[in-house]
Amino acid sequence: MAGGFYNTIEISASALSAERLAMDVIANNIANANTTRTPQGGAFKRQLIVFAQTPEGAPQPDNGFPAFGANGSAFSSDVNKTEPNVEGVQALGIVNDNSPDRMVFDPGNPEADARGYVHYPNVQVVKEMVDMMAASRAYEANVAAIQETKSMDAASLGLLQS
Amino acid sequence: MSDVGGISFGPTVDLLNNAVEGAGREQVQLANNLANVNTPNFRRSTVSFKDALAASLGAPANPDELTMATDDDRQFNINGAVAPVAYDPKAQVDETTQMRVDRSNVDVDQEMAQLQQNSGYQETMAALLKNQYAWLRESIEEQTH
Repeated sequence: MAGGFYNTIEISASALSAERLAMDVIANNIANANTTRTPQGGAFKRQLIVFAQTPEGAPQPDNGFPAFGANGSAFSSDVNKTEPNVEGVQALGIVNDNSPDRMVFDPGNPEADARGYVHYPNVQVVKEMVDMMAASRAYEANVAAIQETKSMDAASLGLLQS
Repeated sequence: MSDVGGISFGPTVDLLNNAVEGAGREQVQLANNLANVNTPNFRRSTVSFKDALAASLGAPANPDELTMATDDDRQFNINGAVAPVAYDPKAQVDETTQMRVDRSNVDVDQEMAQLQQNSGYQETMAALLKNQYAWLRESIEEQTH
């Protein structure tokens, strides 16, 4: 159903929950920025959230970077003629960032390894703050989209009033 | 979609109905674009419902042009007139632009601007439609409110 207003709000709501999950993951990264011990052993690993559109991979050009038109020519006006079935966004999962740990030379620390280095998580707080701003702005944009949809909804309902 | 239940209240009401309906479709696509603002490889899509609206009206013949008489639909009509096309707007994926390094082409500012524009358009058309219905109601009830 392509024209339903409630469907539109659901699409924006899917982004709200996805961005909120992203905020949770980022908050967890910042909270564990100095955690040296985890149940899995070793320092905490930075986590990343993976977004995908629903249904997964609907409109999908896979012809390299930059994106070209359907016939391979740049700046083509060719567009996909089939109507995409849009249902918003979903969080596919949370994956670990396997970049190297932050090593700090601190032989007195009980967590230090044989060479006197402590393995700290690969979390960069500044990077997390930037990611948090991106998630926050995306959340705000989707809240604004819901408000616009609501005002359109009200205009349609107003047709019933004389 | 041009008439509900087989009853048409005239071309103006039908046109405004189609405009409101098309704006609803466009809103779905714009909301989906914004929902996927952080999705890598996402391609934005839009509904060119205003083009479909224009096509549904067709175009009259140019009075300054000489016309060629035809007696069959299969003959070419050389008077500049464009026959109306049934209103059926479709969403189209925009493969042409590149916005970000993650190969997404969603520009939040542009989407927000289009969202506002679409919402205002829909509300305007709904207000005009409401007027049309008010006039219809007056004609039916033979009295003004």
